[in-house]
Amino acid sequence: MAGSVEGLFAYRELILILAWKNVVVRYKQAYLGLLWTIAKPLMLMLIFSLMRTFIGFDSGGVPYPVLAYCALMPWMFFQESASEGVISVVGNAHLVRKVYFPREVFPLTAVATKVVEFAINFAILLGLMVYFGIVPGLQMLWVPLILLYTVLAALTLALAGAAVNVYYRDIGQMLPVLLSLLMYLSPVIYPLHLVQEKLLERNIAGDWSKWLYVAYTANPLAGIIDAFQRVMLKGLAPDLSAMLPGLLLVAIGLPLSYIVFKRAESHFADVI
Amino acid sequence: MPAIIEVDHVTKAFQLGQLTSLTQSMRNGLNRVLGRPSAERAPFRALNDVCFSVQQGEVVGIIGHNGAGKSTLLKLLARISEPTTGQVRVRGRVAPLIEVGAGLVAEMTGRENIFLNAAILGMKRSEIQRKFDDIVGFAELEEFIDTPVKRYSSGMQVRLGFAIATAVESEVLIVDEVLAVGDLSFQQKCIERMEGLIRGSGRTVLIVGHNIRQIERLCSRVLLLDHGRLVDDGAPKDVCGKFFRDTQTRNLARHLSPTDGVIAPERDAGVVELLAVELVDDAGVPVAAVGLHESVTLRLRFRCKEPLRRLELIVGFHTPDFVHVLTVSSAVSGDQPDLPVGVHEATCRFQDIPLRPFSYGVRIQFVDHFNATLWYAENVIPTVVTPGRFDITKFPPTGLVDMPARWAFRPLEQAARPEQADLLAG
Repeated sequence: MAGSVEGLFAYRELILILAWKNVVVRYKQAYLGLLWTIAKPLMLMLIFSLMRTFIGFDSGGVPYPVLAYCALMPWMFFQESASEGVISVVGNAHLVRKVYFPREVFPLTAVATKVVEFAINFAILLGLMVYFGIVPGLQMLWVPLILLYTVLAALTLALAGAAVNVYYRDIGQMLPVLLSLLMYLSPVIYPLHLVQEKLLERNIAGDWSKWLYVAYTANPLAGIIDAFQRVMLKGLAPDLSAMLPGLLLVAIGLPLSYIVFKRAESHFADVI
Repeated sequence: MPAIIEVDHVTKAFQLGQLTSLTQSMRNGLNRVLGRPSAERAPFRALNDVCFSVQQGEVVGIIGHNGAGKSTLLKLLARISEPTTGQVRVRGRVAPLIEVGAGLVAEMTGRENIFLNAAILGMKRSEIQRKFDDIVGFAELEEFIDTPVKRYSSGMQVRLGFAIATAVESEVLIVDEVLAVGDLSFQQKCIERMEGLIRGSGRTVLIVGHNIRQIERLCSRVLLLDHGRLVDDGAPKDVCGKFFRDTQTRNLARHLSPTDGVIAPERDAGVVELLAVELVDDAGVPVAAVGLHESVTLRLRFRCKEPLRRLELIVGFHTPDFVHVLTVSSAVSGDQPDLPVGVHEATCRFQDIPLRPFSYGVRIQFVDHFNATLWYAENVIPTVVTPGRFDITKFPPTGLVDMPARWAFRPLEQAARPEQADLLAG
């Protein structure tokens, strides 16, 4: 497998150029162009802020809109990378049938495309931080690592999903639905410290509370979103204890997912 | 030197029919685990135990009927798909020229598409930059290179695809059919470029095609596939000759089976209905073959559903690859009768068939006095031209038609050295 990953490095130019194509094609004949990338998180941020005025919960001393935006960025990056990664092989059927290159180029391209959009949203985030008077600290240097971890988490779903989707298109339909449910199980609308408070401090589920917390943080996005908010807004290092279960899951899941993909790969052209 | 391509006992099997449903394949999986028989279909072998190897610099043609496994073999060599059993080893970079313009993106400009497609075909960025002008020049798109491809005519798109695909440098080049694209002058350029690529570079080339003549001319060796098996492998002349003979026997067999005699016109205005077509000899006996430089009569029976004025009948022969080698019209001799409603017979006697021994199809066209086509079909009946009274081995390898030629030789200059003159005189 190490050999495959190494060989893949030779295809970085192709991945970059295909990602560039995705970005160009998506925005070429749209008047607002790349502005559409920031429209979605901005609108969700406004809706969440409105919702919070009715429900009311503690945002931990950070202005809620920027906290929500900080959660939406990694969440949307993960959600869109995974769902587009899963349909990426089938979506490029014409190339799968005609040309050979390692097929993981397709999911990787889907993710690389989203990195571009993440970068644009990052600029908006910096703008919001200036507006709310939050000074970014040196902890920001964690961002590339957090992003890399998010990429790996998305690929864990995307690789195996893309392979199975070649045989059963149900996966491509199902995943976006499941992911939109997962958003409520991730600290996107509410911050992670509320979950910690309920489960770790007040033990609302009794003896099960600790295990429920582990299960909650087994979702890699729980740790990722919290870490991103900490390094960007609070000037704190990532909370590794909240990330550990998710990291373990990705560390086991990603190689398995890649093996599934590589084993299915040789039949793509015959089945697609 | 080790072979650049080695195909070792390769079999490629496909499951026929629709992919099984999720429940069905789960049930099959469960049955397999439990050791019970599962309801799986017998696989279809697109390639069956194929073995061959190719040396550096060989130009190998792969021929065979539809479904013989040619494209499957190319896909295996291009690593697009993998064999079910056996091994395919290719040493070096493979450039597949399988379908030109497979990856053109309509929204992007010609320039962007060159970079994108060349990268898809495996070119490095520096290599693309070096060849950029050459690609644009060959595609004749200098003025339009910054226009989105969706504004291109289809010919321009195909030219761009071809120019990019043929710019790739590789040890092995794989070509699947459709070499000539675009208008006539560009087709000529394509063929020249292909032949330049194939002959000039010392590269190993594999060509799949139905254009037997082209394959025979370009290749140094030809493989013949039949129903997934490699049935012949040798010099182009021998293998192509064998394939011709196979095609002829098949066509004859088809001609003799009455059930296959349904004529499907490409154009039918509903005025004329063709009832029967046959080739007969001078005694009126139906024949399926005719000798070179012998006579044969084409006899048609047809029904006019409306009265026809000044009907023009055009008949001709075409090769299996639809080269219209010979066409005659009743208008040339002024035979354009007015026909009432009813069944009519028309005969056309070919005095002296000038076609090279090969299999041909007959095409028939009915044209009215406004020069509009009332009815048109190709491949109406197959026919075979046999060598007749001639020795086929004496014919030069190329050419479509033959005509009586009178030869003469006479000396214009005597040899300078006398002893040679003596020798000739002696």
